Amino acid sequence: MFGAHLADITIATQTGHAAVSRRVWTYAGLGMVLCLTMLGSLVFGYKVYSLADVWLALSANDGSETATVIAGLRLPRAIIAPLVGAALGMAGVVVQTLSRNRIASPDTLGLNGGASLAVVVATVVFGVQSLVGLSLAAALGALVTSVVVFGVAAGAGGLSPLKIVLVGVTFASLSHAVVEIILTSNEAQLQQLLFWLSGAFVDRPISLFYNGLPVVVLGAAIAFALSGALDVLHADDSTASSLGVPLVLVRGLAFLAVSLLTGAAVSMAGPVAFVGLVVPHLARRLVGLRHRHQLAAAALSGAIYATLADIAARFVIYPVEAPVGAITAVVGAVTLLVLLKRRLA
Amino acid sequence: MSVDSFSSRGFPAGPVTLAVALVTAVFIALFLAGVGFGSTWMPLETVAHVLLGGGERAERLVVLQLRMPRVAAAALAGGAMAFAGYLLQRITRNELASPGVLGVVDGAALGVVLFMAIFSDEANALMVSVAWQPLAAAIGALAAITLVFILSGRQASSAIRLLLFGIAVAAVAKALTTIFMLVGPIYQASQAARWLAGAVNTINWSEVQLMAAVLTPTAIVAALAARHLPPADLDDVSSRSIGLNLPIYRVFIFFLAALLTAGAVAFAGGVAFIGLIAPHLARLLVGRARAAGILVSSMLGAIMLVGADLLVRVAFAPLEVPAGTVTAVIGAPYFLFLLMRKDKTNG
Repeated sequence: MFGAHLADITIATQTGHAAVSRRVWTYAGLGMVLCLTMLGSLVFGYKVYSLADVWLALSANDGSETATVIAGLRLPRAIIAPLVGAALGMAGVVVQTLSRNRIASPDTLGLNGGASLAVVVATVVFGVQSLVGLSLAAALGALVTSVVVFGVAAGAGGLSPLKIVLVGVTFASLSHAVVEIILTSNEAQLQQLLFWLSGAFVDRPISLFYNGLPVVVLGAAIAFALSGALDVLHADDSTASSLGVPLVLVRGLAFLAVSLLTGAAVSMAGPVAFVGLVVPHLARRLVGLRHRHQLAAAALSGAIYATLADIAARFVIYPVEAPVGAITAVVGAVTLLVLLKRRLA
Repeated sequence: MSVDSFSSRGFPAGPVTLAVALVTAVFIALFLAGVGFGSTWMPLETVAHVLLGGGERAERLVVLQLRMPRVAAAALAGGAMAFAGYLLQRITRNELASPGVLGVVDGAALGVVLFMAIFSDEANALMVSVAWQPLAAAIGALAAITLVFILSGRQASSAIRLLLFGIAVAAVAKALTTIFMLVGPIYQASQAARWLAGAVNTINWSEVQLMAAVLTPTAIVAALAARHLPPADLDDVSSRSIGLNLPIYRVFIFFLAALLTAGAVAFAGGVAFIGLIAPHLARLLVGRARAAGILVSSMLGAIMLVGADLLVRVAFAPLEVPAGTVTAVIGAPYFLFLLMRKDKTNG
């Protein structure tokens, strides 16, 4: 299995110009599609608006109903959804490399669950209100969960991919149950309950975007800085250390990046399921195995995927809106089944 | 299930009988406590008095109409799930198997939610009898477990792979349930959410009767069928060589386990992890003895759900926290413990 990957890497480095121009086209195409889906996110919904309406609402908000809906309700989700998708996509790439496991993701490792538990505990128990505080709590929750999950899995006899995922999924259901207990014993509304259990982009204030953006950028910067080391780490530990990669440092920083990205995503939208599982596979198909490109493609395709899911959520059970996390969960769990079936994990 | 058969698998009758007696005593005590506790504490002698036909009108109302159905439903559902877990663990020879991780619980929940979504009218009232609800749950449960085994195919022989297929199918079912919950009789969507998490607080006598009507015959058939379960340490080839027709028998056992789970989930909701833990504890108490194993597993399952329900009533009153969350909080660490302990046999 590793031999095949190494072969891919050498092929990717040898093909030169053809691959470069293909990548440029891929990125350009992804960027275009992302712009279109974001526009679609403004246009489609309970009511479908024309492009002229959208333009008017964004350029000169006259306080009309149309303008309020577009600028006040749809704009925040049209920019929060891609940011969350990009963050989870990149986190997925890093996590899959770290655990050398194609079915790893912030969800299957329980990080999403840990982050949302941390946010709920921070709000309900410690009364944290500031958005920055909540993002930090989410990142901390993800970090602690990742340490615990890897620790328990190591204790359960080696870090076999399947075992890590089993441990992670169990942790996710545990944090699910605790979140449910905390919220129901505080008489939370169903809306809140569903939000922290399955994630949503509806009714999120736009301030969340400005607040989450720096955290995502920081996480992404760390991940990109590590991309060379991750390329080597992907093979195996002894190769990596003989090439002079400081394993412990790289792993620690990579976990930090994953936690920041997951934490920011969860603090903005709750635990939107399985985005980090699906997107890295898509990214690898598009641009190959080099992490620099995997991360970039994962960010773009994650953004597109989350935005599309958000649009789909408005129509699946029209006129009621479905939780977007449920949509991504269906797609993600089916992907997981396919991966298991093909023995890719 | 005579005392004789408890000892038939080579275990001394003494300790097994003692364990059975002990578990029965705990079960009865918890049952009474479950009826006694509530917004007002009712002394046990009053409870006993009412159960024997006496008591004042108000006491009779509280005990017989409000608290008894709830406790009875918890006992039935917990027992059924534990029995289902016992069957699944024995037939897959997989100590980590349970109705929850094989997708049966979430499949049943999806069946119920779809049923409510399809058969309710504009005013969100059900157009058909609620008696069909367990059937919908059963269809969902069977569909889920069938899907798990079809998809996993030959990989089903690996304990962990089978579980991952189950978890993935369960995740699909759970997500679809979340979506359809918002389509159906939404008038109490929050109640639906709580039901999904496993709660017995709103159950009335007619539902308990329906539950018993579904579960009792299934349990009897399952108990009879369980007599042919191959010894736990026998592989497929050896079982066949001593004349057990495994494939058909296995399908039949899966069917029964799914039916038991469905009957429980249809009314008590998605209670987690009881089907996993109860058979384990039973084995610790009575070893591999079969009849005693089934009996003790079921009673332990009943104890756990009645206990969890009691706990949420006492600890979180007057709020109604779903009992299933308590079993999940206790069950998930136990599952991890099993994973850590069992890695050599299940890897």
